[in-house]
Amino acid sequence: MSNDLASLPPIEAPSLRKRVASVGRYIAGIRADRASGRPGQRRWMHVAAHAFLLLMVAITLYPLLWVTTIAFSGSQSLAIVDLPEHATRWDRVRAVIPWPSTWSSQNFVSVLSDQPFGKWLFNSFLVSFGATILGLGIACSAAYAFSRLTFPGRRVGMLSFLVSQMFPGTLMMIPLYIVLVQWLNLGSSRLGLILAYATTSVPFSVWMLKGYFDTIPKDLEEAALIEGATTGQIFFRVILPLAKPALAVTALFSFMSAWNEFILAATFMNEEGMYTAPVGLRFFVGGFSQQWGYFAAGALITALPVTILFLFLQRYLVSGLTAGSVKG
Amino acid sequence: MSTGTAQRPVIRAIVGSLLAGALALGVAHALLGRAFENLATDTDDRSGIVALNALTAVVQSPQSSDDTLRRTVQGWQTRTSGITASRIVRIAGAELLASTAAHDSVEAEAPRRLERDEKPLFDMAQRLRSAVNLNRDEGAPRKNEIEVESLPKGGRSFSGPFVEDGEISGLVQVQSIDTAVPRRPSWWITLGLILMVVGCAVVPAFVFRRRSRVATWGAVGAGAIGLIAALTLHGSFATKALMEAQAQGDAAIAARARSQADAVSAVIPGDVATEDSLAPGAWDTDVYRRSRGRLTADATILPAPPMPSVFGKSLFLLFAFALVLLATTVLGGFHALGRALRDNRVAYAYILPAIVGMALLVYFPFVYGVVLSFTDSTLYNANQGVAETWIGLRNYADIIFDFNVFSHGDNGWVVNYSNFYWTLFFTIVWTITNVTIGVTVGLALALVLNIKNLWFKPLYRVVLILPWAVPNYITALVWKGMFHRQFGVINQVLEIFGRQPISWFDNPLSSFATALATNGWLSFPFMMVVSMGALQSIPEELYEAAEVDGASWRQRFFAITLPALRPALVPAIILSVIWTFNMFNVIYLVTGGEPSGATEILVTQAYKFAFERYRYGYAAAYSTIIFMILLVYGIFQNRVSRATEA
Repeated sequence: MSNDLASLPPIEAPSLRKRVASVGRYIAGIRADRASGRPGQRRWMHVAAHAFLLLMVAITLYPLLWVTTIAFSGSQSLAIVDLPEHATRWDRVRAVIPWPSTWSSQNFVSVLSDQPFGKWLFNSFLVSFGATILGLGIACSAAYAFSRLTFPGRRVGMLSFLVSQMFPGTLMMIPLYIVLVQWLNLGSSRLGLILAYATTSVPFSVWMLKGYFDTIPKDLEEAALIEGATTGQIFFRVILPLAKPALAVTALFSFMSAWNEFILAATFMNEEGMYTAPVGLRFFVGGFSQQWGYFAAGALITALPVTILFLFLQRYLVSGLTAGSVKG
Repeated sequence: MSTGTAQRPVIRAIVGSLLAGALALGVAHALLGRAFENLATDTDDRSGIVALNALTAVVQSPQSSDDTLRRTVQGWQTRTSGITASRIVRIAGAELLASTAAHDSVEAEAPRRLERDEKPLFDMAQRLRSAVNLNRDEGAPRKNEIEVESLPKGGRSFSGPFVEDGEISGLVQVQSIDTAVPRRPSWWITLGLILMVVGCAVVPAFVFRRRSRVATWGAVGAGAIGLIAALTLHGSFATKALMEAQAQGDAAIAARARSQADAVSAVIPGDVATEDSLAPGAWDTDVYRRSRGRLTADATILPAPPMPSVFGKSLFLLFAFALVLLATTVLGGFHALGRALRDNRVAYAYILPAIVGMALLVYFPFVYGVVLSFTDSTLYNANQGVAETWIGLRNYADIIFDFNVFSHGDNGWVVNYSNFYWTLFFTIVWTITNVTIGVTVGLALALVLNIKNLWFKPLYRVVLILPWAVPNYITALVWKGMFHRQFGVINQVLEIFGRQPISWFDNPLSSFATALATNGWLSFPFMMVVSMGALQSIPEELYEAAEVDGASWRQRFFAITLPALRPALVPAIILSVIWTFNMFNVIYLVTGGEPSGATEILVTQAYKFAFERYRYGYAAAYSTIIFMILLVYGIFQNRVSRATEA
């Protein structure tokens, strides 16, 4: 999902000053016909706001609490409690409240020991890690060239990266399958998935890093040049150390998008031992399999780290959106 | 003009024509080599099938019985060259009637029951029986009646049906070693033809070397003529050589059939030639057990049918590629490219890894996908070249000109859910409803959270952003569970209020509602965050000024808030439209298109065509159309947003 951000068209900075002026003129024409901001009205507004927010919080949290309940219920059933034959209304209400009838960590223990889920997590980790390292390495050197060096094809190259974000996934998947599985013989292999994820993350990373490299003042490099440094030395000794924060954020984003990727992995990883965590989770509850307990426990294990990571990172994502936009 | 520049057209003509000639004739050479190999494989197949049919005739002859079967098979094999093992399997009782495999004669002598690890033999026998019955019922060759398999240790196995009393009761299998040696195309001819192309291109370049334009274009023109001539010559050589190879193959098969006839009559006592099934020429069949029509009944060779061209339609493509290579080199394209590469080698070295990776795994797949959309490539002919499966625009025509959205069934008019226009309509409805919900809820939350001095603001913000943070495939699967017919909590809530539980995925509308709920849940935080960012950038004084002037909240909203939000919201909406349009995971995992494809969106439909029905070409055309739609949307959106900005 985050990969699509590179295709975001620049947001033009609102010419606020002009708008202030026009709004001022507009408002000046309006007669002040009633006093506003009475304390009583304010209090009502706050109460209504909290009511609305609490409703939305309930809607937001319910599915998450539900999956947590199933995970700790210790059984494979979708139902929170087993309903008797003639359920009363109270029984049904109980069945909706996200609180397990008995607390048990059984699902977590068995999903990691009896089921091959640990192996799938390991696959996911290896693939995401490999793809991040490879993709980031490729992206930083390209972003550096695009940011600092001039050469024929620079504009075309950047544009082609942008356009590649519009290629529909299904159109790419068949030929990608032919290239990776039939030509390179990398079907059901972690390396194949690493290559696919690394290259698909490159355009987003390049755009993101180039944006950051552009903000690094050129004086430092010029000083280094005078000292007789080569392009390589400037890249490794000056630019990369300065860009550490951007590198970290970009790396985390590409790790997360690889960790959360589902379709490619589902299509390319046919052997059960080679599944990644998303494919494995779907395996628990897809088709005729109904192992909701394993799914819920596995989903918590898989999603918790990236969810927390995302909460910390979304600031950068949003500021990246707006920063890129203001520069235009 | 110096000598250096005068020589340049000549050098370029030599290099260019050498490259073009090497490409065109090298590929032609390789194709011919492959044709020879196919012919050799084909001969081996025919030889094995002749042996299989002969053995089948032996074991099905009225003289043989279960007791003599083993000896008969053994006797036949000693008289037949190139056969390493033969087996007879009867389905009833899973019995191995006879076997000459080394393992079976020592440790587990036939007749005996099949062992557990021999289950594939039993399965194959059943497969063959159903194949023969199916073909007979349908009156057309649909499934192979003879199965050919490559053996792991080299050689091949051929298995056909075993008939007793007019019914198929098992299988006959022979394993043979590969004997036919493919011919090798001659390198001398290929090299000679390349030199001919070079010669053609160099002559005008040399003659007009003082007038560089004439020399250049002359070299291109003459080189093109040389290429055509060389390819034509190569084609005629190839056809002749292939005809010879084919005649050799036919001769080998005829000899094989005759020697098999001798072997059969030696094994079976009595006059065998009178029986139809024992005519040796009839043993040369294809995998549907139809005669190939190359031999008469007594195994004399019939005149060969005309040979199809080795290259087929790819010849033209090959010529075009070679010509482009020639022209680029001669006109100095590569020279300029080389200089640019040399001058900027540091920059290119930095972007090289990215370009190589993107070229191999992004750009090439895209181009190849578009090419595939012009073929009828499927799983079953995926190893054939593009040229053989090329069908032009037929896939596009099939998708775009199929207007049968509604059809008249037994129960009145029904919607054809697999029709492109239904899916397009559904996708548009899906996108619009989702974006509307996302923007409304997100904006409402942002406005509420923007209230001054509201308690717990950061806490609300963190909780409300959670749906964006949870991986969307997990969200989708969770909601699918909550909409479960029997145990899902949504139906439990309905029952609390005395309603009947709903089978959510049985009705297009309710199925759509499930996907909408899921996607609405996961998409509002993005809009909320974007709107909050923009709201914070509005200076407080504006509102204060407006309040002082007595503007109502509605006036404040439309005069201050919305205009300030627009620069952030418009791109976010554009982005959100594209995300929703392509929201594969939610549809694929929640509704899965249920009921019967009614709730597929374009991308999931394309995926299903590719990976569930294996119609690669059709799916590629479908995806290309999706790409076009998005491209048009992007351009249109760009225009509109630029026009509104101005």
